Amino acid sequence: MTNPTILQEKHPNGSSVPLASVSSIDPLELANKRPDWSASQPVTAAQKKTVLLLCIALLLAVVLAPLKTACLFIALCTLFYTTSTLYKFAVIRASISPSAILSFSEQQIADQEPREWPVFSILVPMYKEPETLSQMVNALSELDYPNDKKDVQFLLEEDDALTLDAAQAMAMPASFRVTVIPQSFPRTKPKACNIGLSLAKGEYLVIYDAEDLPEKDQLKKAVMAFEVSAPDVVCVQSRLNYYNSGHNIITRWFTAEYSAWFDLQLPGLAALGAVIPLGGTSNHFKTRILQALMGWDAYNVTEDCDLGVRLGRAGYRTRMLETTTWEEACCDLRFWIRQRTRWQKGYIQTWFVHMRRPLKLLKELGVVNFFHYQMLIGGVTFSVLINPFFWAMALVWFIFRPAGVAALFPGPVFAAGAFCLFLGNFVFVYINLLGCCKRKKDSLMWWSLLTPVYWVMMSYSGWRAFIQFFRDPFVWEKTQHGLSGKA
Amino acid sequence: MEDNRNQYRIIRMLTGGVTPALLAAALLGYALNRFGQLDPAAQAAGICRELIAGTTEGRQALFGSCWAAPLPVLFYLPFSWLLPEPLAGPAAFWLSWFFVFWSVRESVKSAGHYLFRIIMAQIAIAAVAVLALNQEVLQIDTALTVGLLLLCASSLSDWVACRRLRDVVSSAAACAFLALCGFSVLGVACISAVLLPIAAAGHRETRRRFQAWLLLGWLPLVYMLGVWMLLNRLILGDALFFLRSLRFLVSETRLFMPSLALPAAVMLPALALTWRLDSRAEKPGAGVVAASATLLSFALMLIVYSKVFAWFGISWADTALYACALSVMIVTVARLRQPLYRSCLSLVIIVWLSGTWFKRDEQTGDDDVRVKVIGEVETYVQARTPYGRVFALGYTGLDLLRGYEGSLMVPNLDLHIGSLRMDYKGQDLYVLIPNPEDRVRSESVFWKYPDIYDLGADRLLYAGTFGTWRLFQVVSAPTQEQLDEWRRLRN
Repeated sequence: MTNPTILQEKHPNGSSVPLASVSSIDPLELANKRPDWSASQPVTAAQKKTVLLLCIALLLAVVLAPLKTACLFIALCTLFYTTSTLYKFAVIRASISPSAILSFSEQQIADQEPREWPVFSILVPMYKEPETLSQMVNALSELDYPNDKKDVQFLLEEDDALTLDAAQAMAMPASFRVTVIPQSFPRTKPKACNIGLSLAKGEYLVIYDAEDLPEKDQLKKAVMAFEVSAPDVVCVQSRLNYYNSGHNIITRWFTAEYSAWFDLQLPGLAALGAVIPLGGTSNHFKTRILQALMGWDAYNVTEDCDLGVRLGRAGYRTRMLETTTWEEACCDLRFWIRQRTRWQKGYIQTWFVHMRRPLKLLKELGVVNFFHYQMLIGGVTFSVLINPFFWAMALVWFIFRPAGVAALFPGPVFAAGAFCLFLGNFVFVYINLLGCCKRKKDSLMWWSLLTPVYWVMMSYSGWRAFIQFFRDPFVWEKTQHGLSGKA
Repeated sequence: MEDNRNQYRIIRMLTGGVTPALLAAALLGYALNRFGQLDPAAQAAGICRELIAGTTEGRQALFGSCWAAPLPVLFYLPFSWLLPEPLAGPAAFWLSWFFVFWSVRESVKSAGHYLFRIIMAQIAIAAVAVLALNQEVLQIDTALTVGLLLLCASSLSDWVACRRLRDVVSSAAACAFLALCGFSVLGVACISAVLLPIAAAGHRETRRRFQAWLLLGWLPLVYMLGVWMLLNRLILGDALFFLRSLRFLVSETRLFMPSLALPAAVMLPALALTWRLDSRAEKPGAGVVAASATLLSFALMLIVYSKVFAWFGISWADTALYACALSVMIVTVARLRQPLYRSCLSLVIIVWLSGTWFKRDEQTGDDDVRVKVIGEVETYVQARTPYGRVFALGYTGLDLLRGYEGSLMVPNLDLHIGSLRMDYKGQDLYVLIPNPEDRVRSESVFWKYPDIYDLGADRLLYAGTFGTWRLFQVVSAPTQEQLDEWRRLRN
């Protein structure tokens, strides 16, 4: 154990500046070389014109034929809800397919030895989180992988003296190092990761968040997963879950949601060969391919989701890996809303970026994956935005039963609406229950029945994200960790 | 490895796509040939017509009776909406039977058998439908019930055998949908849902997670019934409106309700066997013997149900229950690990026996009867008043008015004579009441006005009989405008 190598030098005036090797790296390579693939310009002029024209057309329709417009809008939304419900059915059903998730038993891992494991780069971006540093160093040290094959980089911001000092003071294994990220705009996690990617020495690469606790055999499983998969599989995504699920009701709902997303829906999508919106951490890559794709988009606040789509566009596939990284669920409502706002804003960014040339996207992804993309990236955002209107309408109908609401639902639309009411809402709650059951977190299942309240929080964040997308597209609302102790 | 996968894909396509499509088409051809005019969605078509028109009657009809359940109607609605009447029926028929044959595949596949046994079972069920010589077997609601019941029963038995999460989910989902297929299978759906967590109580590992199985197993059914009740409350003003007919249908309601739980007793030996085998097993799961016992008990339970209904005079539930029982038996035989010739022989015997189970019916020419009744009623009313309005009551009324283009006759699901007089002030109102026989007895008008067909009701004056229908005139005082007009005409 030694003090870590820190990629920075002392400037003659005494201040810390990055090493030339770091400062020469272009973390905005994607935005500079392929601006059409970057969210550096959130909405293009053509998109602005299209949105404006649509708004004018909508306004005219509302003025000229308000009832017909409302009926048409409701009919389209009902069609979307119905499609979305059936889509969820299909995805969950696919999740039971043997190809949904790659799993390796302890025996299979043990049978690999003795063997030469490849160098595995691990990136840990951190910002003002000195308290989680020692936990992270311990977790990475304990990973069941040869120490000399681990290439760990802690990516610390230049102005984060607290964490830098803590890192300098800490004894770390020789293969651990600290890379200081120069101050520049935008200050986002993907920008830091791009610098880490350029300096990565490993054949494979993974990202962990500061508070992550990956399962010990995760790296070996990832290597084995790449080895048994086809060459076009360039990313394997581990499952994420929370160690503080019992802290309060928010963490319980959050855990239920994550269990459903990572244990059911993403495996289902993988089995269907769909574009996968990657989780923010514990995604393992083939380093060379990721470098060729110019890493992450530094301007996108859900760079992971965007990268998942770009992998799909480039003809690569992502698979799910049966191993879990334990994280800390945000337990404070204010921070939860900020985190969710960022995620939803990122989804909106990603949708606009890739929809700049829809036909090209269709050609690159294919019809089926294009549909997946619309349902996963556009659909999720669209539903959180329109949900409050339909809840309000249902509530008004339940309580006052005015004739006006019934007039908005002509025959077939009423039936489809009844189908969504009968089934749609229930499917989404039931999927969460299922996720908890699969995770063997039975005590959370009763709490999952209250998920509709969680949807209200999601819709609030969705609208906040929508407004923020136009006002402050690049603002990164950082999640505060360490608010609840480990369970 | 790749060869195995390709072979699996071919078999999957064959048994899950090609044979179901061909058998459903063959059945459609047979039905068209045998019965001439195919009417596989008689009640649903009438309701769909109103739903598409966006009327209150359509909404009331969709949720207002446990005997005309919502699932077949919702299934038929897209066909009715997108296709013209002569095509909608056959298209819905084909898809519903495709679903049955696909369900057979799902049910047999999980026992590890492929190709021949699946196709054999599919052909056997098609043969049962053909030998039944009964139009009711060929209705889309029967087909949907059979398909869902197969999924429900086979998933339950797979759950008993292997304790896979997917089995509890698919069984619970099938139970919930089954409950939306009508009262005849509501009890079966409830018993299956109850059995899901109880069946897992035999092994210490799964017993500990009882609450998880309880939630996953029961929730879909409880939710579905809850929403059905809620919509009854919202649309018809009474959460239990869809069940009210039971009081009129069965004279001994107090005896009838507990009797609905009686068939569950048939499942007890299979349950005991499951617990015994499960408690001895190292890993959770009672194995194939318990699974087969569960399936056979399930078939037996369906037969007992049909007997219970028959004792209480609800004979029309027989057909669907018998069809379900036979299908479960066929699937049980196809799942058993035995020589192919023995399976074939067993299936032939079951199919042959099934020929005697169903009441045979011949071509009915329903359309001609409908047109005749409508014509006669129109002539009668128009001869007496130019301001007439005839309300054809209940689901039977909806069926009567299928394809009717005029404005004189309108359907009515929830009869309130006072409201009609208020809403159609100044018009001469008539109500057309169907003969309360068999299924028609379940109409809401008969539990509200039990003797209406024979004696009429307050303010209802007998006007005439048309086919099996009776027309009553609503007696009301003329309005001032009518009096003035009559005076003018007289002068």
